[in-house]
Amino acid sequence: MKRLKASMEWSKFIVLLVGLVAFVFPFILLIVNSFKENKAITASPLSLPDSFNLANYESAFTKMNYVSAFSNTVIITVLSVLLISVLAAMTAHFFVRNQSKFNQYTFFLMVAAMIIPFQAIMIPLVKVYGNLHLLDNKWSLIYMYLGFGSPLAVFIYHGFVKSIPAELEEAAMIDGCTRTQTFFRIVFPVLAPTSVTIAILNVLWIWNDFLLPSLVLTSSEQRTLPLSTFYFYGTYTVDYGPLMAGLLLTILPVLVVYLFAQKFIIQGVMQGSIK
Amino acid sequence: MISEKGLWSRIRLRLLFTGPTLFAFATVMIVPFLYGIYLTFTNWDGISTTSTMVGFENYAYVWKDAVFWKSFYLTLKYVFISVALVNVAAFLLAYFLSSGMKGQSFFRAGFFIPNLVGGIVLGFVWQFIFSNVLVSIGQKAGISIFGTSWLADPDKAFFALIIVTVWQYAGYMMVIYVAGLMNVPKDIMEAASIDGATAFRKLRTMILPLMVPSFIVCVFLSLQRTFMVYDLNLTLTKGGPFKSTEMVSMHVYEKAFLSRDYGVGQAEALVLFLLVAGITLLQVYFSKKLEVEA
Amino acid sequence: MKSWKSLQALLVSLVMVMVVTACGGNAGSKPADSSTAEGSANSGSASGDVKITLLNSKGEIQTQLEDAAKAFKEDYPNITLEIIPVPAGQSPFEKASALYAANSPSTITMLDTGDVEKFKDRILDLSEEKWMSDKVDGSTDLTTFDGKNYAFPLSIEGYGFIYNKAVVDKAVGGSFDPATITTTQALGDLFKKIEASGTGALIVSPMDWSLAAHFLPLAYAGQSADKAAVNQFITDLQAGSVDLASNKVFNGLMDTFDLMKEHNIDKASPLAGTYEKGPEVLGKGEVGIWFQGNWAWPQISSFDTASGAYGFLPVPISNNTDDFGNTQISAAVSKRLVLDKEKSTTEQQAAAKTFLEWMVYKEKGQDFLINKANIVPAFKNITLEPKDPLAKSIQAYIAGGKIEESMSALPADHWSKVGASMQKYLAGAADRATLAKEIQEYWTTVK
Repeated sequence: MKRLKASMEWSKFIVLLVGLVAFVFPFILLIVNSFKENKAITASPLSLPDSFNLANYESAFTKMNYVSAFSNTVIITVLSVLLISVLAAMTAHFFVRNQSKFNQYTFFLMVAAMIIPFQAIMIPLVKVYGNLHLLDNKWSLIYMYLGFGSPLAVFIYHGFVKSIPAELEEAAMIDGCTRTQTFFRIVFPVLAPTSVTIAILNVLWIWNDFLLPSLVLTSSEQRTLPLSTFYFYGTYTVDYGPLMAGLLLTILPVLVVYLFAQKFIIQGVMQGSIK
Repeated sequence: MISEKGLWSRIRLRLLFTGPTLFAFATVMIVPFLYGIYLTFTNWDGISTTSTMVGFENYAYVWKDAVFWKSFYLTLKYVFISVALVNVAAFLLAYFLSSGMKGQSFFRAGFFIPNLVGGIVLGFVWQFIFSNVLVSIGQKAGISIFGTSWLADPDKAFFALIIVTVWQYAGYMMVIYVAGLMNVPKDIMEAASIDGATAFRKLRTMILPLMVPSFIVCVFLSLQRTFMVYDLNLTLTKGGPFKSTEMVSMHVYEKAFLSRDYGVGQAEALVLFLLVAGITLLQVYFSKKLEVEA
Repeated sequence: MKSWKSLQALLVSLVMVMVVTACGGNAGSKPADSSTAEGSANSGSASGDVKITLLNSKGEIQTQLEDAAKAFKEDYPNITLEIIPVPAGQSPFEKASALYAANSPSTITMLDTGDVEKFKDRILDLSEEKWMSDKVDGSTDLTTFDGKNYAFPLSIEGYGFIYNKAVVDKAVGGSFDPATITTTQALGDLFKKIEASGTGALIVSPMDWSLAAHFLPLAYAGQSADKAAVNQFITDLQAGSVDLASNKVFNGLMDTFDLMKEHNIDKASPLAGTYEKGPEVLGKGEVGIWFQGNWAWPQISSFDTASGAYGFLPVPISNNTDDFGNTQISAAVSKRLVLDKEKSTTEQQAAAKTFLEWMVYKEKGQDFLINKANIVPAFKNITLEPKDPLAKSIQAYIAGGKIEESMSALPADHWSKVGASMQKYLAGAADRATLAKEIQEYWTTVK
């Protein structure tokens, strides 16, 4: 009986391991091929590289203008995420504690808006902001991320704020705190795990986003990482080698962060779902 | 309830707490959305300086556009299959990876990796896998099912889309299910084990009912994401072969920007929005009911 | 409690700063952004420098264009030209209209011929430019509206069957003469000979744009040597009064296509191929023939095993040598440059015009067009010989008057919609009657 159980455990382990390998296979492939020449990639995509050739990386690094694209992406992602986390928490808190009809409708409108396809608003969006001369700069993009990101963030915070006993806040207010103070002193710290979740979800989205920045940012010095990756191959040809390297360079920062903060991130997403 | 003194301080508080998000939300999403609705009543082609009002002509066209409804039906099929598979795969992974086995957090971390990458990158990598790598394996090893590219066959290309979708979202939903499973009280489970309940019985009678909230969240999230699939569709199959895998988002996009029929494209986007909104709300409504009963 | 207070103060001030920067950023960006167009003009008045941009929709010459911008600056140090590429997967029209919607159009925009008309309210009339007198005859007809020409013809592109001379020489046992292939019959014999010599005959690349923007339009353009008759044919298609199933040219072309299908090395899975595979197998000599255009040279050359000996064969549509199309290569001006007049300053417009002239008349400009970008120019004064064999071949056909003008102003979604029907036919999922019906149906929906 015990042996059966042990072998069951083992077979489960093996099955999961095989599954895991299948899951990360595309990434392994990307890494392996990023060191190879174009011809070797199309001829035998599975073979290991002959040498540790960094030529593709050099070409991708310079052609993508990596340093500038990287810093643009960092600025945009960090600022947008900070704004979304703090401001959406405030809004959600306000909605939960002031359940007027107006607030409930507004909240419902936000949640409903989450299913508006981006394609349905992109040209009007560009047209409106273009007429106001607000395109082609990072700050507008960050502002748009706040607009697009707050519905989900408010929705998630809303669920968590509900679970914080109102007595806690009432006590603080009796102690002489204002609403604002109460929020930042009591509520926001309690919401910290949720904020981590929101931050993670938004980092994953904004870091990788392509369509919105491609519409908003037109000049080359403003480009983000995904944009410069895609500006970097031609209409007809696919220069596989440098492209693989470029793709890897784009996801590398996220992979590195994930490697170190993996537990945190998984926990963040977990928290995000319990409400 | 916590009350405030004075009207002015109430307004100030409201502005501070909800002003920035609501203003951004309204100006970034609602205003363009309404402006987009206005555009559906015009025959604007996306560039010209003038356009005329055409009333409901564009909507009449949507009603008659057989390709739109065909791609909508295809999307429904895709959504149904992938939502089911994503959630089954994610739940099984979560179930096995929260049983306290060795290295389970390592496994969880590994299965989550696909979520770190954007849709366009994913589509590109998988296109390479389906049209180069698998074909090369198939020909060398003589596996006929991989001998030719999956993306060249309408049915297989459809399943390629589903496979990549499952690959992409299973890890994410798994994490949510793991969270749900951790909420299942341990003492009840132990009591059940002592009473001699089998693993399957425990799963069916105790775990699944307790997991209903997680199912609602996961189904909602996966519905929403699969309905709007665009990046993946574009980079993996480009709607091909011969438009057989063109999902509805892609059709709308092409109507507006390729056929230069902006008014119709926008009208179709709007119709799509209403249909999806309806379906998602129904799902949430029925599952909330289920939750109450369970 | 004290630390709480300071933390709270910190957070509040952080939020305030962020709110202020967010809003301030937007407000502040207003003058900064609106001045981009005027800004360069202002700085222009200060130092005489002008900055112009060019939206490039010919991805394969992006690097060459960037180098050309540098060379241009050597000749005109006060003009800075920046090249903006259209990202892969986006159409030039889409990108250009998004830029206009965003109020930040590029000074120069590279458009496909058929798109120029849509932009005509927003772009400059170029009828008075110097190069108008040196352009190849008829090269601006399609961009002339109400007697005014709105676009600069950038490149002539041609397509047909590209052959690898090493492979076909071996197949025919001697030096291959392209002039012998003028009928479907002769083409079929050549395919068989190539196969008999132990290599694949040809590869049919299944991209929708190749099948429906290049191959199928041969059936339209081949209707008659008289352009008015071709235009009438298109009008009739739109009116629904053409019966393709009984059309001689269409059927002739499809007979050739059937032949191609039969000898295609990707016959087992005809839709699996990618564009990249074509130049590889042709260059390596694994096939003798590939249906494509002269833009493919850079990719073919990277696999070249025939020491640069390649050329074009016409796509025959019958077994009668004298029929129109059997000795002609399809070619036309494919890319046009237009100059924005809405947001560009007079200085920028002048600088952009200078760039166009530079390409036509200055040594470095011509060197860019012919030697660097492998472009077949649409100007008679340029006498530089192209280096690449495909451009040479096209020019030889032009010189010999053996040109069938390509359909370069088809409706914008023609390649995608009809391309799907062509793919269906290629894969054997539809027969010729279905194909003809679908093409006819497509045309009746064109507004």
